[in-house]
Amino acid sequence: MTGLLRAELLKIRSTRMWWGLLVGALVFVAIQVVALILVSGQQGAPSLDQGSTVRTIWASAGTGSTFALVLGILGMTTEYRHMTITATFLATPRRGRVIAAKLVAHAAFGVVFGVAGAALTAALAVPLLAMKGAPAIPTSTILQVLGAAVVGVAVYAVVGVGVGSFVRNQVAAIVAALVWVFLVESLIITLLPQVGKWLPGGAANAMMQATSNRGSLLEPWAGGLLFLAYGLAFAALAAVTTQRRDIT
Amino acid sequence: MIVVDSLTKDFGTVRAVDGLSFLVEAGSVTGFLGPNGAGKTTTLRVLLGLVSPTSGTATIDGRRYAELPEPMRMVGAALEASSFHPGRTARDHLRVLVLSAGLRLTRVDEVLAQVALTESADRRVGGFSLGMRQRLALAGALLGDPQVLLLDEPANGLDPEGIAWLRGFLRHLASQGRTVLVSSHVLAEVQQTVDHVVIISRGRLIRSAPLAELTQNHAADVRVRTPDADRLRAALEAQGAGVGAADGVLHVSGLTPPDIGRIALREAVELHELVQEESDLEQVFLSLTDSEGSQP
Repeated sequence: MTGLLRAELLKIRSTRMWWGLLVGALVFVAIQVVALILVSGQQGAPSLDQGSTVRTIWASAGTGSTFALVLGILGMTTEYRHMTITATFLATPRRGRVIAAKLVAHAAFGVVFGVAGAALTAALAVPLLAMKGAPAIPTSTILQVLGAAVVGVAVYAVVGVGVGSFVRNQVAAIVAALVWVFLVESLIITLLPQVGKWLPGGAANAMMQATSNRGSLLEPWAGGLLFLAYGLAFAALAAVTTQRRDIT
Repeated sequence: MIVVDSLTKDFGTVRAVDGLSFLVEAGSVTGFLGPNGAGKTTTLRVLLGLVSPTSGTATIDGRRYAELPEPMRMVGAALEASSFHPGRTARDHLRVLVLSAGLRLTRVDEVLAQVALTESADRRVGGFSLGMRQRLALAGALLGDPQVLLLDEPANGLDPEGIAWLRGFLRHLASQGRTVLVSSHVLAEVQQTVDHVVIISRGRLIRSAPLAELTQNHAADVRVRTPDADRLRAALEAQGAGVGAADGVLHVSGLTPPDIGRIALREAVELHELVQEESDLEQVFLSLTDSEGSQP
């Protein structure tokens, strides 16, 4: 199992894709942090005087989660696109173990993405918030928000592996995931919050406390549990869909 | 020993393999022949546990591939030259396999040297020629130093130099006593290497026999058409050739077309046709390909 995990980690490390996705995730985090701070208090945007606004800015650490989702999707679909899945299953015919190793490896890279996002958020938010004279919020809250962001990004990578093993076509899987995250799900969360809070994105937002209007979402702990359940469901989807499939 | 027993595989409504049975003896080099679409790749993929059969079995030493404790140490397979991530180096591709299969990392450099890819080991596979990819696929098959090798169309897309290299390589593997099953849709690619052939068409077995058995009956004659058959026949027989005659056509054995041409020139005999006839194996194979082509 250690060998399998090392193999899956090497698969990710040995191409340049993850660098590009990490850079993309960090650019998203930086834009989110800077933009939220700069627009705060202007034209109806929530004011920095409120602790909840400051907390939302710290929750920007999880903005790179979509890139972790794409990393997970690529981790699975690339195997089918380039047919490396053949060699993978020849080396290890026990497919369930391959999938388990792939899920863990992608979760680990998700943690890397999340920690990098959290560090960048801190590096930008601390000086900018001080410059704006924003009120201090408890360090424990900040750590809780950043921790939730790291977990959220990691679980998104796991979800990506699940999506990729279900929709093996790389382009279709990525387009479907992005349309879901940026269009369908965000619309439902905004327009139908009673439904939206039960969706993966709503649950992730609740866990990361990534909204100043927390009333429309689940409690952070409930959102966290629900989002982890989504992660497990997608992991199970990956295992089940791969188990008996013909590799042609 | 590889045993394929009453193997059938349907993909939807398409029957790719249809009640196929054959044996590959340990230590033999067997050509697995058939036109494109005959079911060769599907059979190999069932044998390797990548595709589950509709019915029947395919086993290696009595066990299904997935039941082998350390499959890559027993069976090496090179299925297609295109199954690499173009952004990964050759060395990393092999490292991934070594880690997955629990082999020694030192095997990577050893197999790279075996297929003469050491100098390109740290290049990304995307820049490799088809021949280099075929060699890298072979390297992957050799990682576990297996007794059994399954190679699917290893000569596909190779230039003549590459095919010559492959022939030598397969002979080398066979000389080490390994069991090799090598598929091809071009007989000439494997004819000089194999000692047994399994020919299939449309998922069914056409023939499984030692190569010698197929070729010995009709060692290739040379067909000669001439208006002066008697005189040429006498001249050829004087050179020790065996000659059969019918309707002004001579079937000559024991001499090559150039030999016969020179003799005819010396004797000033007019030639209308001078053709190397094909061996039985090629005829068997061609008739399959033809019948395949004439079907709707």
